[in-house]
Amino acid sequence: MPPETSELVLTEPGAIGPCHVGPDALLGIKRQQTNPTRWNGQRWHPFAAALRDGGIELRENIAACGTFATDAGGTAYGLPHGVVIARSAAQVSALLKAAQQFRVPVTVRGGGLTTEGESVAFGGVLLDMTGMSRVLHVDTEALTVRTEGGIFWHSLAEELRRYGMDYLSAPLNLTSSVGGTLGVGGIDVNSPRLGCSADQALALQVVTPRGDIVECSDTQNAELFQRVVLGYGQFGVITEATLKIRRYTPLRMHYFYYDSLRTAVEDMQLLNRNDASDYSGILTIMDCAVNLLVAFDSDERETAFRANWQSKLRGHGEPGFALCMLRRYALRPWKLPEAWYLLQRKRELFPEFRRSEYMHDGLMYDRTVVFSRAVWKFWGSKQMVIPDLATSAEKFAEAVERGNAVCRKYFPHYTLYCVGIRLRPEHKPHYEMSCIPPDAEGWAYGCEFEPMMDDRVYSRDYLQSFKNAIYDIGVELGGSYYRFGGMMKGYIRRVFGDEVVDRHLAMKREADPAMILNRDVIF
Amino acid sequence: MFDFVINTPAAHKSYSDCSGCGLCTLVCPVWRRKRDLQHSPLGWAKALQHGAAPGDLVDALWNCTLCRACDPVCPERIDVSGMILKLRAQLVHPQTAVLQGRMAAQARRPAPACQEKTALLAGEALRAHPALLSRITALLDKAGVLVVAHDDGADISLALEAGVTVSPERLAALIEPLRRADKVIVADGLLLPYLAQWLPAARIFSLGETLSSLEIIRRNLRVTDLYVIEPRAYHADYVRLIKYYDRLRKERGCDFNLDLQRIAIPATVRGLPQRLGLMVPDDDAQASWVLHGRSITRIVVESLEDRAAFEKVSNVPVVHLAELADSLRR
Repeated sequence: MPPETSELVLTEPGAIGPCHVGPDALLGIKRQQTNPTRWNGQRWHPFAAALRDGGIELRENIAACGTFATDAGGTAYGLPHGVVIARSAAQVSALLKAAQQFRVPVTVRGGGLTTEGESVAFGGVLLDMTGMSRVLHVDTEALTVRTEGGIFWHSLAEELRRYGMDYLSAPLNLTSSVGGTLGVGGIDVNSPRLGCSADQALALQVVTPRGDIVECSDTQNAELFQRVVLGYGQFGVITEATLKIRRYTPLRMHYFYYDSLRTAVEDMQLLNRNDASDYSGILTIMDCAVNLLVAFDSDERETAFRANWQSKLRGHGEPGFALCMLRRYALRPWKLPEAWYLLQRKRELFPEFRRSEYMHDGLMYDRTVVFSRAVWKFWGSKQMVIPDLATSAEKFAEAVERGNAVCRKYFPHYTLYCVGIRLRPEHKPHYEMSCIPPDAEGWAYGCEFEPMMDDRVYSRDYLQSFKNAIYDIGVELGGSYYRFGGMMKGYIRRVFGDEVVDRHLAMKREADPAMILNRDVIF
Repeated sequence: MFDFVINTPAAHKSYSDCSGCGLCTLVCPVWRRKRDLQHSPLGWAKALQHGAAPGDLVDALWNCTLCRACDPVCPERIDVSGMILKLRAQLVHPQTAVLQGRMAAQARRPAPACQEKTALLAGEALRAHPALLSRITALLDKAGVLVVAHDDGADISLALEAGVTVSPERLAALIEPLRRADKVIVADGLLLPYLAQWLPAARIFSLGETLSSLEIIRRNLRVTDLYVIEPRAYHADYVRLIKYYDRLRKERGCDFNLDLQRIAIPATVRGLPQRLGLMVPDDDAQASWVLHGRSITRIVVESLEDRAAFEKVSNVPVVHLAELADSLRR
């Protein structure tokens, strides 16, 4: 008797397929979604021939494909059939037209800083947008920049600085790309004042899934603009973007330390509500050692903060917090290993944030460089999971505390990063089915929960289980997530509801009949 | 026995440790020119992690300029440039026999031992400008204790770049005459960390740092100067030199070819084909990028190679660091 063979059920793009892990496996671990099935390669060869006939360079060798086998998360793996490096809107247009014709999936990648496999191609074409990464025009009068979509925010900052300019807000990560960020949101420590990174987009050149090259903005092809910004790459490839910029200023930094997450969150929200600082965010070493970062662009703003708000904050300065910790561990000697960890962490981390080459006269230059280098140095590893919760202001403290309890259960050490996002009422159409929770008014708040992997190895299922436990909180609170694509897309219907998802799916099917563009990311 | 691996903790890490952050890409001049991840350390590391062999990366590996900008930015502390040299050593460059022959010939002509406390390894570019070399020698030899080494290891430097094995005999011929020196000044930044390892008793300095620490030169730096650091030596001793140049910036107020990560932006993009003379260098775009958006009245270079690159694309005067002493006298 030949062995019984099982056949993978092919899933219609846009539907959530069955989990291929046996129902009796991994008992006790709630499963929501696994990596998508690899596309089976149907009509690849005529598609590849058509591209080459059209003068498009398609690389199929292992060196090209292997480069993109995973993303920053390092838990999703998939090889494309071939790689195209984006060079122009016309080339991207030709690629997408051929992909529609031959029904070949195209996965678009910027900096590749997704963690859930959103920028990993499970077959088909990987379109590397970093090939289009030039600044096209800087207007220091109108305070705008026109740039290609694949540019890294850091490369943009390098160029803007030559003009004494800076972008408004961008992820604290040097290798995020502009196009990728506009598609998902992007948060910075100035988002409580300036909104998410996507809010700074004034106009875009987009190549639609059918291959049309379209300029869009709030006033031109507004519907497309609404869908593409915060659209998770479903409605077009951003080939160019016009962004707001501002004059560059170094930062006046203040750090306040708390032994309570809730108190720190409340103080951060107090600052935001009263526009008391230019930058604010929470970064924890442990849940009993919480840092509220507060910073300013000008002496005037700093002086006003000192006069009106500093005394209202319940956090300590560094010496005061050291005394606080001394008292805490004197009363709890059995927790001395925890104290030792804190001390070690302080010794490693603090100098990195105060390196003399980035600090002059008490001012921090290039905050993104300082924070991003620290992020990669102290939190980066070959495997990263960063589940997050986004809620309204009212629900945020509860979300942080409940998420923190999950982290404690799963990992000995972890970091929480919390920040507010000023919402723009006129951008409400962008916000539907995005990281902005539907019930948020004024500000949305986000918290990332990042376990420290240290030298431990965790199974993908353990990590998935951790993420699910965090994301279940979001469902219960009626919130949203920054990273709801890829391996977490099983939560999309749970958190947004069928009506909203089906409406967006219908729009997607209309815009992308063969469902070729970033097909496994959210639908 | 001399070691060709720089013995730092980073040397024990390799491409398999790359977590994929991409910080190396941001500082890579070859990536900047080509906008193609396959021409970046990140691209090689990821390709190798997922099944590619060094032979699949031949062009990209030869095109690397070994500016070492990727070394200090790597959060995993991988010796990225060392990794590239190891990968190159697994390939066989068509010029291998030529380079080996050159080294063998040099080994047969042992240089006399340096009798002075300080030795200068001038390098080929400086030797081609005898007037400037003599000016530098005069500046550095105030106490009469400096000697220009007969053998400056230019052939070894090129062999290292090409991944060609250097014989112990040839290396001994370079090192033995330098044993008496307690200070070695080297113009070729690639050799700097190797010399530090091969001559553990000596203090090794780059020519740029040595000249810029002279008061007669230092005080003639202007606020409107662009000071161009030679990248290879700077990145090889980044932790120390970043502080050195930061002090110089604060003292003199001049601009530097440093990016926002405080990495030196190279003025040239010369991979192995250009260094071996197999391809004509095309540095215009890179030199223009260094100058882009800066308001300067003069360019001061540590490296002669950079002077040529800037002279092609700029209207402001371009001077070698050593020439600042002359302008002060005038």
